Amino acid sequence: MKIIVRCILDKIFTAITWITVFIIIVLLIIILGPILSKGTSAIVFKDTIEFRKMESSIHNRGSETQLAAQITQTASIRQAIYDTIEKFKRGVDTESLTDQARAIYRDFGLQLRYKGLGPQQYTEIRSLSKDIRDRLDTAFASEDKSQIAECLNFVMQYADDPRFKGTSAEAFFKMAIDFKTAVEKIDLAKHYEYVKAVGELEDLLTQLLGPRPGKALPATAMNQFGATRWDLAEKLMDNLLWKEEWVAQKPGQPLVKIRTERAKEFAGTEIEPLFGYIKDNLEKILKPQWRFYWQYFIDNSTPGHYFGGIGPEILGTLLLTLLSMVFVIPLGIISAAYLTECTTDNVVVRIIRMCINSLAGVPSIIFGLFGLAFFVLFLLPFLGLPSKPCILTASLTLSILTLPVMIRASEEAIKAVPLTYKEASLAMGASNFKTFISVTLPAAMPGILTGVILSLSRVAGETAPILFTGAVALGPVPSSIFHSTRTLSYGSYDMAVGDRLAMMVPHNQYGMVATLVILVLCLNTSAIILRSRLFKKLHGH
Amino acid sequence: MQESIQEMNKMDNKQTIKISGIENLSKPVSCADNELAAEIIAEDFSFYYGDKAGVKNITMNIYPRCVTAIIGPSGCGKSTFIRSINRMNDLIPHTHSEGKLTVYNQDIYDKKINLVSLRQHIGMVFQKPNPFPKSIFDNVAYGPKLQGIRKQSALEEIVERSLKSAAIWDEVKDDLKKSALALSGGQQQRLCIARALSTQPRIILMDEPCSALDPLATGKIEDLMTKLQKSYTIVIVTHNMQQAARVSDRTAFFCLGELIEYGLTSKIFSNPSNKQTEDYITGRFG
Repeated sequence: MKIIVRCILDKIFTAITWITVFIIIVLLIIILGPILSKGTSAIVFKDTIEFRKMESSIHNRGSETQLAAQITQTASIRQAIYDTIEKFKRGVDTESLTDQARAIYRDFGLQLRYKGLGPQQYTEIRSLSKDIRDRLDTAFASEDKSQIAECLNFVMQYADDPRFKGTSAEAFFKMAIDFKTAVEKIDLAKHYEYVKAVGELEDLLTQLLGPRPGKALPATAMNQFGATRWDLAEKLMDNLLWKEEWVAQKPGQPLVKIRTERAKEFAGTEIEPLFGYIKDNLEKILKPQWRFYWQYFIDNSTPGHYFGGIGPEILGTLLLTLLSMVFVIPLGIISAAYLTECTTDNVVVRIIRMCINSLAGVPSIIFGLFGLAFFVLFLLPFLGLPSKPCILTASLTLSILTLPVMIRASEEAIKAVPLTYKEASLAMGASNFKTFISVTLPAAMPGILTGVILSLSRVAGETAPILFTGAVALGPVPSSIFHSTRTLSYGSYDMAVGDRLAMMVPHNQYGMVATLVILVLCLNTSAIILRSRLFKKLHGH
Repeated sequence: MQESIQEMNKMDNKQTIKISGIENLSKPVSCADNELAAEIIAEDFSFYYGDKAGVKNITMNIYPRCVTAIIGPSGCGKSTFIRSINRMNDLIPHTHSEGKLTVYNQDIYDKKINLVSLRQHIGMVFQKPNPFPKSIFDNVAYGPKLQGIRKQSALEEIVERSLKSAAIWDEVKDDLKKSALALSGGQQQRLCIARALSTQPRIILMDEPCSALDPLATGKIEDLMTKLQKSYTIVIVTHNMQQAARVSDRTAFFCLGELIEYGLTSKIFSNPSNKQTEDYITGRFG
């Protein structure tokens, strides 16, 4: 009976261990799966013609003739959209129409002056054109349909007048006709609303399709192109079709989000069918294509990380990590050697050890502030260098952060070296130092490498210590260790806080995080391989 | 198995080994010669761990080219004494010594003594085989390198000679680059002996060299001791009475940190003058 119980307990124990392993694997999949799959979307995605335009103009990549051909293919569809909007605007945007009428009047006046007319004739035509302009002004400003019709009819009677043929004054009549047709369709009382809505629509279209051809390019690269990715285009398309508003339903109640169809704002106008048209032709306009964008890892990202490209981030992370390893490995080993080999267990050593242990528990932001105060504000000026955050100060701060880990691991590794090795070496007549260098240290190396692995992962992923000591969200690629740098950890932090644009391109952040995870995995794997090789070399199996 | 080992012993005794540099010492000398100048002289030597004495008032002479065995129950100070000879006990904090311990007419507890050169002249083999986690070659070449020998050809010569002296050359000559830890326990111990021989010491201390080995490996080590005896002074601590009887010329019996009896092995084992010794040898002790 008892034996049966023991057997069952054994089986239960085995089962529990298996279940635990299974849970850990599932957790890993749950954590790593989304990171990796979402991260992949930064590299493998459907790009649009805007993306190809961006690549061509910023990175000089891709065939220009092919791109030009594609642009021509899409241009006519785009032009149709722009024309519709322009036409609609001529009916509703009365302020700009008034301005236009005045401009035409001025132009015409200039033309008249150089026509060589007699003074009487000049005055006559001039006053007539002024009259036309004033009538148009009245029509644009009026909300009364009969008054508008009267004014416009007055203008139109001069449409065939030979005095205006072939002059800039002909534009008056085109305006009058357009306005007349527009007024027949729309509700004049709503025209301010139309102006606002059409402005919004144009903004959205600029985001989706890029700035209109012929207009001056905006200064920032981000605004020079439309939606560069198909998923972004779909998101913007949704914004275009649906208007989101936060509406207070009752006073004191939380606001409620309401989605209304944007087309309804333009009910009955020629804009209304435009939405369906854009939606149906979006693929033709943007020409999406599947794309493997491996240059993501080497490209310098244009301002705001909008188009992807994390080359400088990877470079910065590697630089910081390796440089802090350069500081922390020797320091850690020497400290551990002192604590294990050179002293006996006395009060001073105990205090030192306690300090190291407490240092390991200090929040990393404290290290960041310390780094700012000590390295940036004190040490650099002390050495006669400009006092500004840079790679050097950041990696020094990181090495202090991870020093306790390194010391502890090295100490344990050195302690784990059998005393017999040391005895053998000393009995051969080696000095303490020689024994440590040539016997203890090589034998402890696998354990020390474990410490290196732990510190490496910590350093590569830390954000707080480098906040003030050398990381920047945007900036040039560093050319020496006295420049600040972008890093993956700080980049993803920066995109997560306070950057509204990052919401539009979340794949960038996913890509950064996934790259960071993979980078740390790679660094660790290489360290583990090194460790097992070393172990094999030392132990022969 | 015992018989075969004894046969091997006999065979080995017939061979004479030559080690360059110390041929003049390798003349066969009878260890019964009391008038021979002693190599290690302990005069009223005591060693303390803190306040507790490890060994007390030891007075004994250890003669060159003899195997001197030290026997006794556990905790009697055998190891303390043997480790005092090359001052390995200095590794332990809070220890001090009293009296005099002379090696080659030099008081080794003198403050002016150079520990490095002392230890280079006294090889030591430990209880547990403790090769360094390095290749076989590097293990043996460690001592010569410490002495400043850098030339590869010279090192190779020393390694080959030492491995041959330790009777392990034939087993490892093909893969000297292999890690020493991949060897078997007996091989490792012989490698440690080779390592101890590499610096051409005159004295070899062995602290229970066979306690971690099987009988076959033990046999090989014992053969080796008999061979080495012709060129080196060997001090061995052992728990194995038969081993002491087989390999040693002189035997010292320690008990509770004191030297109870010291004399020719044949006399100690056949006709001990002390009652305690007799009890211990015959197995009636404690």
